[in-house]
Amino acid sequence: MIRHTAWSIVILSAAALAGAALTPVACAADAGSYVSDPDSSHLDFVGVQAGAEFKGTFHKFSSTVEFAPDALGTAHIDVQIDLGSLDTKDHDRDQTMRGPDIFDVVHFPTAHYVTHAITKSATGYTATGALTLHGVTKEVPIAFQFTPAAPSAKLEGTASLKRLDFGVGQGDWKNTEWIGDAVKVSFSLALKPKP
Amino acid sequence: MPNGSPPAQYTAVAKTLHWLIAALIVTQFVLGWTAGDLPIGLHKLALLAKHKSFGMTVLMLAVIRVLWRVRHPPPALPDGMMPIERLLAKATHWAFYGLIFVMPVSGWMMSSAKNYSVSWFGLFTWPNLISQSDDAFVFLQSTHEILSWTLFGIAVLHIVAALKHHFWNKDTVLLRMLPFTKPENRT
Repeated sequence: MIRHTAWSIVILSAAALAGAALTPVACAADAGSYVSDPDSSHLDFVGVQAGAEFKGTFHKFSSTVEFAPDALGTAHIDVQIDLGSLDTKDHDRDQTMRGPDIFDVVHFPTAHYVTHAITKSATGYTATGALTLHGVTKEVPIAFQFTPAAPSAKLEGTASLKRLDFGVGQGDWKNTEWIGDAVKVSFSLALKPKP
Repeated sequence: MPNGSPPAQYTAVAKTLHWLIAALIVTQFVLGWTAGDLPIGLHKLALLAKHKSFGMTVLMLAVIRVLWRVRHPPPALPDGMMPIERLLAKATHWAFYGLIFVMPVSGWMMSSAKNYSVSWFGLFTWPNLISQSDDAFVFLQSTHEILSWTLFGIAVLHIVAALKHHFWNKDTVLLRMLPFTKPENRT
């Protein structure tokens, strides 16, 4: 039945390290360091099965984010996703997706996304970053919005990718007539200060 | 049908709908029962996708058929049929009308309960009728299956009756539903 991917985000702060010699205290104070609250954060995806969209979610993932709107140079998002935690509201489909021909969670239990650079966009921010999934690492850009609510924040965004770029779908499941190649990913991270 | 008297045969539209739906139902049996025996996999998924698209086609044709039927009464049953035969004929026909709605709708609900939305040949997606539920799925699956055997049984009765009318009674019951025939010529 289906497949594909998901992941998401976090920002790390290279800033504190890079700027340590000059203004370490200021940098650390300006860039918010966060982790996502697992109870109120979401990582979802939409795939196409037999012509109809279906939704899935990953219940287990963690993220760390370093982000301040005025310090994008040091902003960073890092997300680890437990692929086995996928849920498409159908046990048969979930098991098939976890299986060897799709996510192959026995060999590739997690996916990882890490940003390289974050820039301001017309509607929010865009990030370049690398997604490692099913043993394959590829560039996947994301678009997101950051809403501070000190001391917490919300980070919401989307991405799209092609599952076959990552080999998600082997054998019959390489078929794109019945299982769409494109997958839409959306995420909403409820960020709280990093302990 | 001038003056409200029943026509001698079915309209071309009624015949077309009859044979089109009949052909789709045969296809549905082949697809449904083939897919049912397959393990989970792409082949099963593809067969069921076709089954669902054809099934929703039957449902749409069923709506058209009933609307057409309301405005275009069918020819009368032949004289000389016993009351029990008339009752059986009418019951069979009404059962067909019911099943060409209930079969697709129960399948549609089955897909909804499984959280697999139904696409129509990839062109558009039908809304889910009910929310995901394992219990509902199991119930609907057995309902769909039992109804399919019911439909099969009624179809056998229907075909046997049509052949009996043609070869035993030698009336026009079969001829008037066949395409390109002039049933008036028979008697």
